[in-house]
Amino acid sequence: MSSNDIDIHHLGAAYALDALDERERMAFEAHYPSCEVCRADVLAFRATLSQVAAAQSILPSPTLKGRVMAEIAQTRQLSPLLPDRVTDLAERRRRRTMGGFLAAAAAVVLVISGALVLRGGDPPAYAEALAEVLGQPDARVLTLDAGDRRAAGDGGVVKVAWSSTGRMAVLVADGLPTAPDGAAYELWLIADGEPQPMNVLEAAADGELRVVLDIDDSPDSWGVTIEPADGSPAPTGEILFLGTV
Amino acid sequence: MGVLRLGRAARADVAEGDVPDPLGGLLRQAGRGDHEAFAQLYDELAPMVVGVVLRVVRDPSQSEEVAQEVFVELWRLAARYDGMKGSVASWAATMAHRRAIDRVRSEQSARNRVAREVSNLVPDHDDVVERVETTLDQARVRRALDMLSPLQREALELAYFGGHTYREVAVLLDVAEGTVKTRIRDGMIRLRDELGGAQ
Repeated sequence: MSSNDIDIHHLGAAYALDALDERERMAFEAHYPSCEVCRADVLAFRATLSQVAAAQSILPSPTLKGRVMAEIAQTRQLSPLLPDRVTDLAERRRRRTMGGFLAAAAAVVLVISGALVLRGGDPPAYAEALAEVLGQPDARVLTLDAGDRRAAGDGGVVKVAWSSTGRMAVLVADGLPTAPDGAAYELWLIADGEPQPMNVLEAAADGELRVVLDIDDSPDSWGVTIEPADGSPAPTGEILFLGTV
Repeated sequence: MGVLRLGRAARADVAEGDVPDPLGGLLRQAGRGDHEAFAQLYDELAPMVVGVVLRVVRDPSQSEEVAQEVFVELWRLAARYDGMKGSVASWAATMAHRRAIDRVRSEQSARNRVAREVSNLVPDHDDVVERVETTLDQARVRRALDMLSPLQREALELAYFGGHTYREVAVLLDVAEGTVKTRIRDGMIRLRDELGGAQ
């Protein structure tokens, strides 16, 4: 991390309590997987809090279990992460000594509902970009609205962090459903009412995506539509996600 | 209503050291699509998940929705669980609290906090909901919370149960953000030392 080197190591407790605002949460999530002290803090504080949570135990309503079981019967499970893509600490140390080569190779951090899985090299390329963006005084973070699909729980989550003065944006998406054959997600930066095509988004099979983008304009809104696989110069498909600044 | 005792399995401190996580096997089975294993996992985790969600969200029907989301998420992600990153109970508690917070914060931005202010007038659910008897756990946690300074405890409870960010806690307590950050951190370290949590 660049801007808050001293502070960020003290955020583990507030993070474990879910007491960071969105901007700090993103910054900390980009930081702590590669910081041994913070990772140990988060792990220990979460274990502690799970005991506090257990002490709140109450009898669930008798109908809840039936509803849960009915819903999971219709819910597809995600595949496991393959062992060679999950990097343990020793492996990461080894890689670090190999220099930045692997780090540059599209490293990705997945943040899944609080569980964190590291893939690829260390530090993740997007994390550095995110730290740079969030270090700018005009940094903004926006969670795009997925409309009705959010309620249905199957639309995924798309967040964008950007800095207009830094001319950079980082998109963080989780749980995106696979686009239909021959189609792709496309991201739009909308400035002065004009949508500018940013990128065709290709989510991994597991629906996760981290993209670093150069931006020229200050956005009024961000949107994601579904488009032909090669992308479109202007949006034609349904707006799946929209966030207004 | 009968009294349900939480077994050892629902305790959060069992993942320490060499002790195998008793829920790990159930979760692995669930990750392979085993509904029966997931049903058992539900039985073990539901009192904690529902309890912590209700404590944060307050509204019983919304709490049920959130608890249901948490279990569906556990099901979806079961095969991705990594025991190196904490016990199953700890994972579930993290997910439950995060989801509850997300619900409260989106409500807050939508309704501009009015609902929460009203719900704060409703008596604490201690008085209205039948608790699961987890005598030992509850006594340990209560004792550990009692060890905190009043200010540490207040800051922690406003954050964890109140769903406020530490910046909001600073406003609520009318102290500097840095002070709240320190209190929260010192309070969590003390709790950790009292309750365990080292992995």
